[in-house]
Amino acid sequence: MTARTIFTAGALAALVAGGAAAQEVAVITPYLAQPGTQFYVDGFTAAAENFGWTVNVIDTAGDVGAVISRIEDVTIQGVDAIVINVDPAQIGAGLATAADAGIPVVGMDAGSDPLVAANVTSNGYAMAAETAVYVADRIGGAGNVVMFTFDPFPPVQARGVIADAIFGNFPDIEVLDRITPDVSDGGIADSRAQMEAVLAANPEPGSIAAVWAAWDQPALGALQAIEAAGRGGEGIVITGIDANPQARDAIAQGGNFEASVAQDFVGIGSVTAETVKRLLDGEELRQKVIYVPTELITAANVGAD
Amino acid sequence: MTGLVRRFGGIAGMLAVVLFFAINVPDTFLTLRNWLNISQQISMLAVVAACMTVVMVMGDFDLSVGSMASLSGVVAATLFTQDWSIPAALSAALAVGLLGGLINGVMVSLVGILPFVATLATLTIYSGAAFLISDGRTIFGRDIPAAFGDFARGGPVIGMAGERALVLPNLTLVALAVVALIWLVLEQTTYGRRLYAIGGNSEAARLAGVPVTWLRLSAFLFTGVGAAVAGLMYASRVASANPTQGDALMLTAIAAVFLGMTLTRDGQPGVLATLAGVVVLGVLDNGLTQMRVDSYVREVLVGAIILAAVGFSALGRRGVLGRRP
Amino acid sequence: MSVPIDAGGAHELRLEGLGRQFGAVRALDSVDLVLRAGEVHALMGENGAGKSTLIRCLAGLERPDAGRILLDGLPLPSGHPAAVRAAGLRFIHQELHAVRGLSVAENMFLDHPYPRRAGLVNWRAVNRAAQAALSRLGVDDLDPRQPMTGLGPGDQMIARIAGTLIDEGGAPPWLYVMDEPTAALTGAESERLFAVIGEMIAAGAGVLYVSHRMPEVLRLSDRVTVLRDGRHISTRPLGETGQERIIHEMTGRDLSALFPPRDALQHGDTVLGVRGLAAPGIRDVSFDLRAGEILGVVGLAGAGQGALLRALIGAAPRRGMVTLDGQPLSATPAGAWAQGLAYVPPERRSQGLMLGRSITENVALPHLERMARGRFFLNRRQQARRTGDLGAKVRLKAATLSQGCSQLSGGNQQKVLFARALAGAPRVLLLDEPTRGVDIGAKSDLYRLIRQLADDGVAVLLASSDLPEVLGLADRIAVMQEGRLTHLKENSGMTEASLLASFYDSGDAA
Repeated sequence: MTARTIFTAGALAALVAGGAAAQEVAVITPYLAQPGTQFYVDGFTAAAENFGWTVNVIDTAGDVGAVISRIEDVTIQGVDAIVINVDPAQIGAGLATAADAGIPVVGMDAGSDPLVAANVTSNGYAMAAETAVYVADRIGGAGNVVMFTFDPFPPVQARGVIADAIFGNFPDIEVLDRITPDVSDGGIADSRAQMEAVLAANPEPGSIAAVWAAWDQPALGALQAIEAAGRGGEGIVITGIDANPQARDAIAQGGNFEASVAQDFVGIGSVTAETVKRLLDGEELRQKVIYVPTELITAANVGAD
Repeated sequence: MTGLVRRFGGIAGMLAVVLFFAINVPDTFLTLRNWLNISQQISMLAVVAACMTVVMVMGDFDLSVGSMASLSGVVAATLFTQDWSIPAALSAALAVGLLGGLINGVMVSLVGILPFVATLATLTIYSGAAFLISDGRTIFGRDIPAAFGDFARGGPVIGMAGERALVLPNLTLVALAVVALIWLVLEQTTYGRRLYAIGGNSEAARLAGVPVTWLRLSAFLFTGVGAAVAGLMYASRVASANPTQGDALMLTAIAAVFLGMTLTRDGQPGVLATLAGVVVLGVLDNGLTQMRVDSYVREVLVGAIILAAVGFSALGRRGVLGRRP
Repeated sequence: MSVPIDAGGAHELRLEGLGRQFGAVRALDSVDLVLRAGEVHALMGENGAGKSTLIRCLAGLERPDAGRILLDGLPLPSGHPAAVRAAGLRFIHQELHAVRGLSVAENMFLDHPYPRRAGLVNWRAVNRAAQAALSRLGVDDLDPRQPMTGLGPGDQMIARIAGTLIDEGGAPPWLYVMDEPTAALTGAESERLFAVIGEMIAAGAGVLYVSHRMPEVLRLSDRVTVLRDGRHISTRPLGETGQERIIHEMTGRDLSALFPPRDALQHGDTVLGVRGLAAPGIRDVSFDLRAGEILGVVGLAGAGQGALLRALIGAAPRRGMVTLDGQPLSATPAGAWAQGLAYVPPERRSQGLMLGRSITENVALPHLERMARGRFFLNRRQQARRTGDLGAKVRLKAATLSQGCSQLSGGNQQKVLFARALAGAPRVLLLDEPTRGVDIGAKSDLYRLIRQLADDGVAVLLASSDLPEVLGLADRIAVMQEGRLTHLKENSGMTEASLLASFYDSGDAA
């Protein structure tokens, strides 16, 4: 049960009285309006319902400072645990308050911090490995690969490192170019322009075997460039990461964009709830980061979910 | 009787809010720890709203305070990344606030653009500048000196509650200092009374020798610097800076001043009344969160309460709720 | 081209024993008056004589508490503007309520439904009807499609008069009440209005003409009625009266009772020296103002009296030389007040007072630094003490000094402004219409105060349209015409008539 649907002073008072018996968890995020966050929260509340918890979902509408305020409020209120969905580095003041009061804080795809008991997320290294290995297998371990990466953003930078390592392990794969697109407009447009330049510089069919992108938008941009250049028939393999709806469409059409990796947002939510349960049951967590498996999306399974 | 309602209705309403939470959140709401907590949460809003009061007593307002708060945080954080010392970076951010206030003042007072239009335009400019300087990114982590982030987490210990220390937050102290300063300026100096005179009748004030142009210009320096101070407080609290983090302060600050105006006898803005308005807004957020009211319902409620308070006050002033005694 | 106005026969409006009481003041006391179609009837009287109350009663805006109004022998219901309108009366006020941004024709149609075709406004018919109405007044050179704001105030007034001629199916208007219609008009514009009035009379309409301006009255009217202190004094054909007689009947009262006696002239040194002063509304003004002297400044409305005072206090940009005690005078209000000038503006509500603020705040406003601790920090106790002293000096009647000024009577509001002016112990006092809209008791207080200040050595510049006031108070009188100071003479042996005459002579040559 959540307080979300209930609103009268009397009902609220009843809820306060009734809530004293159940364990209570506050979920605090500035990003509830974003689709991914809603999947996390749905997964979390579904699992929490099974545990019989009272869940209070608090959205601060993009205001990170207010996340700190709300952590302070629920700390004083005396909740049993707090779940956050925001970079812990920005809410250190709130984490310190909760820690001071002995209330555990669990991150739901939030980031690591000494004051966060555990962070539940997808394994970025594993996701990058999935697509990089897919590319290497598809081109038979030989050929020229174009990489799209973005090192200024740490989670994406980690993906690039893994791909570098995997391609480096195949002596016949050569990284033709390692491109950092301008992401100010989402990344598609500039990626397309950069890819067009690469295509122009490598006009012979077969001179480019694959495009590996650290997320979906550059992959989509590269796809547009290849199709616009009329080189869709060369068998250039494109992969992305995240499996956003646009990428799924492209994969379903069976063109050059062949694979991406989907995070299990709902699963992250439910595993977060399980992690909170372990903490509330008194378990000492050895692993501070808990990974939820991801799924490689190809034409074979793109319609499945 | 109706005179009493008009005079003390607002204060009674505030006490009713406090009483409501005291009953519904019995264990924690009225604790010193919770009120210290609230005082810290509202500190940034208090600074912006107090400074907003300075221009609102003249009948003007400043829409650019939110984006100025964002800009000052971003300026300081960017300078941190270039290894500026904390005092130097903070001074630069405050100077940016002063400059922003100066631009607003010149546009409103010397050029003669309506405050709404002038500060709406500078709102966009300052916001754009914040994005430009930060490249649209959040600046955080190792780039922010630990001492800067620690400031917002610290404060003098004023006692113990069980095992845990009670801390009077540094941010609260800053806000109290700013509010005290603004109170002194508005209520106890010739300068402040002249600002009120401009609000009372600008033409009469001019003919009575009040240098209206220069005073109006100077008043916008308060909102500029105040917004910059609040932006730095915010950046310290989140130990980071991004180009939109202060934006929400503007509307809330104006709401707080209006809420405060319902508490004063003559319906004029006053800095202590503004502070009361800020406290009401902070208490509502704190209390409703503790009562587990949904975030979106909470927003609707806060808006409705502002509307009710200002509405009752307007009706009372028009004598709809009864004739003058 | 001029088409006769259908005045619907020879109507007559008869006022019998009209009376109206305001508190202790009998604003109208048993007034009889007959207004006929086909003639201009002038209504004369000083400020407060009852003219505006009479007009408000006629318009149905005020309900008389005695007497009645008969149209062609039948009583008009009182207090109903719509009934008055249906009876064919129209009111032309000095303040025009032209709607900016609308065309002349649209302004003329403000009171009428627009002609329509297929549910839409038929603009051709609107403009044609407007043009026709203007033509009936002999005005053929105004394009009804041009914006109203492009017209001067005179033509705006003519357009509004023409608007009343648009046929609307009810009784056609036959009696026009014009309240100070030329107050805001230039000479040429007034001439044009007089021509229009001539057309209206020739077509059979009647006009009740209210004005302070003697020459207009003498030129236009067929009969003249004089009111004084709410009572009807006389109604005479123009042939049986004249300027001297009208003024005598208007002023009637013993002026010397209202005005404190002037001592033999023993003025001090020049305090304020003005040489070649030019500012918006005035040019090339030079004079000296001496300590202890009251210098009256008079002229037709807008001849530069108010502009002169605004320029001196620094409220308007100026050129030329102004000295105070031989030193250059600051050109900003702040500087002028600080150097010892004090100013009472003509419009106390819009230019003088902060109505929502206390008496103390209003009085202290220009003197905050002088009443402060170390110039910067307020000293409220000193403010209250000074305000109390000054309030007693100007005979202010208020419950407490923290009372809001909006609750004070006009006379007491004016006394607050005097208290403000005196708070800085001024060397020069600039008074613009200091007794406008003030009751006779407060007037008498203020006259005594002004004279006492002068006797104490303050130099007073008194701009006023109230000629008895100037004649009663001033030591010397300056006359202004079209922004220039044309006469400056000792106030001895002068009458209202001779003063009025000086508003025109020699200046007309320009």
